[in-house]
Amino acid sequence: MADVKKHDTPMVDELKSGPWPSFVDDIEQRGFNGKQACLDLLGQLELSYKHKETHWKHGGIVGVFGYGGGVIGRYSDVPEEFPAIAHFHTIRVNQPASKFYSTAFLRKLCEIWDYRGSGMTNFHGSTGDMVLLGTSTDQLEPVFFDLTHQMGADLGGSGSNLRTPSCCVGKARCEWSCIDTQDICYNLTMTFQDELHRPAFPYKFKFKVSGCPNDCVAAIARCDCAIIGTWRDEIRIDQEAVKAYMGGELKPNAGAHSDRDWGAFDIQKEVIDLCPSQCMMMDGNELKINNRECVRCMHCINVMPEALRPGLDTGATILVGAKAPILEGAQLATVALPFIKMDKDNDYEEIKDFVDKVWDWWMEEGKNRERFGELIQRQSMQEFLRRTELKPIPQMVKEPRSNPYVFWSAEEVEGGWKRDVKTFRARHAA
Amino acid sequence: MGVNMEELKEKVLAFATKKAAHKSKMYIKDLYKADPDASPRQIKKAANELVKEQKLEYFSSGSTVMYGVPGFGKGIEEAFEE
Amino acid sequence: MDNTNIAELLAKPYDKELAEKLYDPKKPMENRITDIGPPHYEQFFPPVIKENYGKWKSHEIVQPGVIKYVSETGAVCFAVRCGSARLITTDLIREICEIADKYCEGYVRWTTRNNIEFHVTDEEKLKALLDDLNGRKNPGGSYKFPVGGTGAGMTNIVHTQGWVHCHTPAIDASGVVKSVMDELFEYFGSHKLPAQVRVALACCLNMCGAVHCSDIAILGIHRKPPLVEDDRITGVCEIPLAVAACPLGAIKPATVEVDGEKKKTVRVNENRCMFCGNCYTMCPAMPLADGEGDGIAILVGGKISNRISAPKFSKLIIPYIPNEPPRWPSTVKVIKNILEKYSENANKYERLGDWAERIGWERFFEICDIPFTEKSIDDYRLAYDTYRTTTQFKWSVHTD
Repeated sequence: MADVKKHDTPMVDELKSGPWPSFVDDIEQRGFNGKQACLDLLGQLELSYKHKETHWKHGGIVGVFGYGGGVIGRYSDVPEEFPAIAHFHTIRVNQPASKFYSTAFLRKLCEIWDYRGSGMTNFHGSTGDMVLLGTSTDQLEPVFFDLTHQMGADLGGSGSNLRTPSCCVGKARCEWSCIDTQDICYNLTMTFQDELHRPAFPYKFKFKVSGCPNDCVAAIARCDCAIIGTWRDEIRIDQEAVKAYMGGELKPNAGAHSDRDWGAFDIQKEVIDLCPSQCMMMDGNELKINNRECVRCMHCINVMPEALRPGLDTGATILVGAKAPILEGAQLATVALPFIKMDKDNDYEEIKDFVDKVWDWWMEEGKNRERFGELIQRQSMQEFLRRTELKPIPQMVKEPRSNPYVFWSAEEVEGGWKRDVKTFRARHAA
Repeated sequence: MGVNMEELKEKVLAFATKKAAHKSKMYIKDLYKADPDASPRQIKKAANELVKEQKLEYFSSGSTVMYGVPGFGKGIEEAFEE
Repeated sequence: MDNTNIAELLAKPYDKELAEKLYDPKKPMENRITDIGPPHYEQFFPPVIKENYGKWKSHEIVQPGVIKYVSETGAVCFAVRCGSARLITTDLIREICEIADKYCEGYVRWTTRNNIEFHVTDEEKLKALLDDLNGRKNPGGSYKFPVGGTGAGMTNIVHTQGWVHCHTPAIDASGVVKSVMDELFEYFGSHKLPAQVRVALACCLNMCGAVHCSDIAILGIHRKPPLVEDDRITGVCEIPLAVAACPLGAIKPATVEVDGEKKKTVRVNENRCMFCGNCYTMCPAMPLADGEGDGIAILVGGKISNRISAPKFSKLIIPYIPNEPPRWPSTVKVIKNILEKYSENANKYERLGDWAERIGWERFFEICDIPFTEKSIDDYRLAYDTYRTTTQFKWSVHTD
């Protein structure tokens, strides 16, 4: 239909075969359907396959007025060959919490992006945004005006900003969610719009919200402040359903192992013996759980979802400081608040108070491009506790320290540190 | 705290302009020195308002955002489009 | 702008001229709407989701890719999960909309791992939807919407952008993912592994994809120190930023003569470089990419879930595999082998990393027939934590 030119792409074309969805076919078809940018992109990819090197350049300075984030500049380093992708900037659009969409919303987004961009997207970026891939500098403001005026959508975060918060499917479709992940995610996103759009911090800061310790958004591994649902009362047990699992009427793990013969379900071997805190036992035909010893790993609940459910006194564990390796090495998040109620009625005040203290410390003491977890490493967990006014508890460490070099302060030692050497020498000859 | 936002903005702008002569892109942390009595949050607020007034500008590498003074230094975009 | 009710706004036809009418570059703040945040999620819920919010009681995976949820109200919802390339066009999104309109009352969802989820409430519709999805193919024969990604199988590979759109990658992303998923396709649509296997790919050490806690991580690495463009560096970056970017202090300011003119630049202590690429991130005049030097490292045994064992990092078992576009056969072979050995040897519910720890890493290397090299011994921060400080170890091919 349209006047488009396909480049010769023999290597890239090899990725059309095989059962997994072919991005090459999808992009090429979009190209034939009138988008030269798509065909140019495949052409440039072929060149990368030949050179085994990227052909994208650094971008900078592009953005929409008044926002320090949401747009990433990108330029081809072979624009003469592939002029339709000479500019190929990325726009991050803040996704609705847990990524449900109406087709009306998606269609409008497609219309905007077909008109003003390449027609290519990432659904979604790693952080969770809808990512619009590929437009020129002059289209950035119009895309932003279209998004805000015609869709009620806004940009996500990038740079030294709060990054777009994200959450798991939560109570929308999961019986294990101990907290209202969507509402928390939306509330934090709205509360911190200024931090999301304008630089505020030494580096990026991420929130992620998972409804239970299965942690389907990987909060514990990749965000500065992880909010993970948990409970502090008893696991709810339906003893009849336990018997149904034992009798083989119900499929263990909700059918997750259905394509292999693992033998008859053995509750001792598959649940009780695998419990990390060994807090379960069979008492005759009854399953007993010593909830005080439970570490809420979810295994027994995952294996017998019809029989076991999380407790009803629910809230969240807050962990801080996870990050990928750049630069001081990867970190998993550390327990800061073992349990807080996530109370919608007081606007999640408790977590916001905590976050304020975290940010105050980090904005003051953090070095440029230092993630929050790295600041804790550099200045110590103790300093973190002082600045956030938290009481040290054993839940915050795997084990007590083994090295004895404690930084005592003068105030902690009887008589302080001011001493008179003459008095000392009066007792001890030099 | 008795920090006047207009006064603070003036201090931040004066500081950034002076600094821009030899270092055209600044981290927010650099701007803290514009007024040691103001908190990091107040400085951030002042700097971001100055951007709205087109007296400062953002400069983003994608992973980090810095501040610049319009007219000073070379933007990365310019460098690429040469 | 009320973000909780945008239905009316969405119902209006797209006005292509509106933005240019509203935006005046001379008065950039005029007519500008800012800080409205994302649309409120609730207006995008299918009716059954909205009505049963917080009331779900249990679920069952009735077949790979199809999860049945039952509510306390008795309501039932089937979620049908399909793989996607993540990198998708507006044409494909429109096709997804067409399916969602036909079967799902106009609603659709994406998962954290880039799968697409369609929701239906009765079995007849479920069957029709599955038939429809299975019948949709690309011109080259690949499925557009393969159903799977549940239970003890392999779900979609989360990945970064690679050569398709990133400026710092050591490898492609989409091509490697397609190659691996083609080969391991049977595990996407079945439940025959001991537990779920989460594979992730990051095209450089920046790890936008945060692959560091995956059962199998495919990681792009550079192996040549950055070049320094003396004639260009001062124009495109600030020298102090480039110097500060190096975590090992290997970059120092320097002055050189270019065409008889003294120029400020930097020099790299190449023996100290660990190829992290942070300098290039901060300074475009220090490129690292190199067709011969770049390639793939494989890390395994990480996990995120708190189930049974604590979350843990993936460990580096293969330091380098060359880039082999377009199908990366060596990488695919290595991953398939690890997956098969894990499948044969691990216990039910045992994640890959838990299996490796139970049998010992010496045995893991032996069973998977992977050569152990000094590159698998840590020498960065906290390296000592990974050294063996007990006489408890197993005899293996390494000691025989």
